[in-house]
Amino acid sequence: MTLEKKKKFEWVFFQNLVVRQVRQDYLENITGFAWLILQPLILLAVYAFVFSTIFKARIPEAGDIGFVPYLAVAFWPWTAFSEAILKANNSITANGALIGKVAFATEQIPLASVTATFIMHLVGYLAVLVILQLMGTSIHWFHLVLVLPVILLMWILACAISLFTSAIQVFVRDLAQILPPLMTFWFFTTPILYSSSYLPASIQQFSQWNPMAWFVARLRELLLFGEITFSYRSLLVVFVVVVFAWLSLRFFRRFSGHFEDFL
Amino acid sequence: MDTLVRLEGVSKIYPRIHKSRERLQAFVSLLFGREPAHGARVLKDINLEVVRGQSLGIIGENGAGKSTLLKVLTGVIRPTSGRVMVHANIAAMLELGAGFQPDFSGMENVRMKASLMGLSNQELAERLDDILAFADIGEYIHEPVKHYSSGMVVRLGFAVITACRPDLLITDEVLAVGDESFQKKCINWIQQFLEQGGTLLLVSHSMYVVQKLCQKALWVHNGRIEEYGEVFPVTQSYLAWHEKRTAKEKEMQVKAKGDGAYYRIENFEINGSNDNETPRFAMGDNLDVELQIFSPDDRPPVGVVGVVRADGTPVYGVVSDNEDAAPVKLAENLYRFRLRLKNIALLPGSYNLSAHSMDPEGIRVFDSCQMPFVISGETKEVGYIRLPHEWLD
Repeated sequence: MTLEKKKKFEWVFFQNLVVRQVRQDYLENITGFAWLILQPLILLAVYAFVFSTIFKARIPEAGDIGFVPYLAVAFWPWTAFSEAILKANNSITANGALIGKVAFATEQIPLASVTATFIMHLVGYLAVLVILQLMGTSIHWFHLVLVLPVILLMWILACAISLFTSAIQVFVRDLAQILPPLMTFWFFTTPILYSSSYLPASIQQFSQWNPMAWFVARLRELLLFGEITFSYRSLLVVFVVVVFAWLSLRFFRRFSGHFEDFL
Repeated sequence: MDTLVRLEGVSKIYPRIHKSRERLQAFVSLLFGREPAHGARVLKDINLEVVRGQSLGIIGENGAGKSTLLKVLTGVIRPTSGRVMVHANIAAMLELGAGFQPDFSGMENVRMKASLMGLSNQELAERLDDILAFADIGEYIHEPVKHYSSGMVVRLGFAVITACRPDLLITDEVLAVGDESFQKKCINWIQQFLEQGGTLLLVSHSMYVVQKLCQKALWVHNGRIEEYGEVFPVTQSYLAWHEKRTAKEKEMQVKAKGDGAYYRIENFEINGSNDNETPRFAMGDNLDVELQIFSPDDRPPVGVVGVVRADGTPVYGVVSDNEDAAPVKLAENLYRFRLRLKNIALLPGSYNLSAHSMDPEGIRVFDSCQMPFVISGETKEVGYIRLPHEWLD
């Protein structure tokens, strides 16, 4: 069973998909792109109020950096990651009209959805970093050069997971209900609201295998503490993420020719 | 020869997916590369080759598998077994919608579709005017596609295709939706496309379109290739099959109602001639019409005879029971009317004599029959009929 038709990855089409996704999410609002920056800032204010004023949260490792910057630096990339996966999950079913009528490399759809979400949140992330700087936190701006590869790796991981879930979603519609609580669980087991030292030793064992924990730790080191601690583990993470992405693409393509039967 | 598409032993099974358990089963069998356990086998062992410059019409009854075949050809769906090889830049119009997203404007959809077919932004910008001119839907281009009529969707979809200059054009019965002038425009474009060496695969129920545009035809029946060859023999045997089937259905209908349960026309003649030649008369001749009707319950039926102009305009009609004309009983269940149209005043031209049989109450028409005839002669009068007249001082 072979299909010897080359389905090209159409680059212009992919760009159009991404732009369309961004427009769909933001341009239909009256204020349009302003929300890209406003929403994260409002959220930041809410978290600052809740955690600093009500909970009076303190993290020893954060030192005089304070809780809010400690949270914010990790929280925005997580939001991008989690929202990207949840949105991409339904992308195949949402684009059924296109898939049944035109032959193209279907993986472009979930990938474009993930990419659009990442781009939008990256803009918000930069806005948050600028505000943090203005509020007195010293951000290590030069380390952005290293932050970008870390976020790129998060993007690849999100793409890989989305290829898996969006393909399965076509067949097993229940996934849309299962996925949000799973992502919430992942959020709370990743040291985003807290530091990994809070975890009991038994769970810390598992936390080592949580790629998000690794990403979050790197982002804090780079931007807040100005440390660069890349080791052989970094290479391992890159390797695992890339292999996982390759597997998920193969998995996706196994099903993509049959989506039309199930949409 | 330059082969653009080749199918080898292609079969397609649509898995049964009504229940979520069946969806899960289908998912698992796909995961392990097995054939689905339950499902509808829509294509069975299709072998086909399309060479460059060919134009192939695909015909067949509804549900025969034509659209699925096109979807497999274009790569929208993967066959359950068999090989599909494509070496061409394909543009396809499959069903309505053409892959447009209903919530976006026509313009945005054009942009998406063009980029999907490999047009760069610059190429699209150059050809956009042509696309809009071909689609000719005016300001609607900025409206969401969900507000379009089906004809407008097809116009826009076809317009994008014209801009993409594909090697192989595949259309699935979409031209039928456009209005008369747009259909003509499309057919002209396709003819030009074929003259320039383009290749065409067309699904249509209009044998006229198939014969006009295609050299070859493929008749698909129950998911198999029933006949493949030159367009005229294949379309003719397809039509013959349809006629046979319709005749069979009629027969079955009668049988189902009991022994000959309706009033059908057994025989219909003008002046004793009902052979293949069109009867000809001169103005002022008498037309003797004979109409035999089968009456299943042996009650005398009602007969209707009328004259219709060749373009369908009714000229005159008469119903037997309004004039208390009773038929003659020829045999058990068989009645005969005879009618003489005296000194016929029809002006020269082609006409149809039509007859209908009705039940004895004259309420329902059961059967109809038409026979062409010609009134010959020369006259400078105009109209259908000569009214008795005289010029006065």
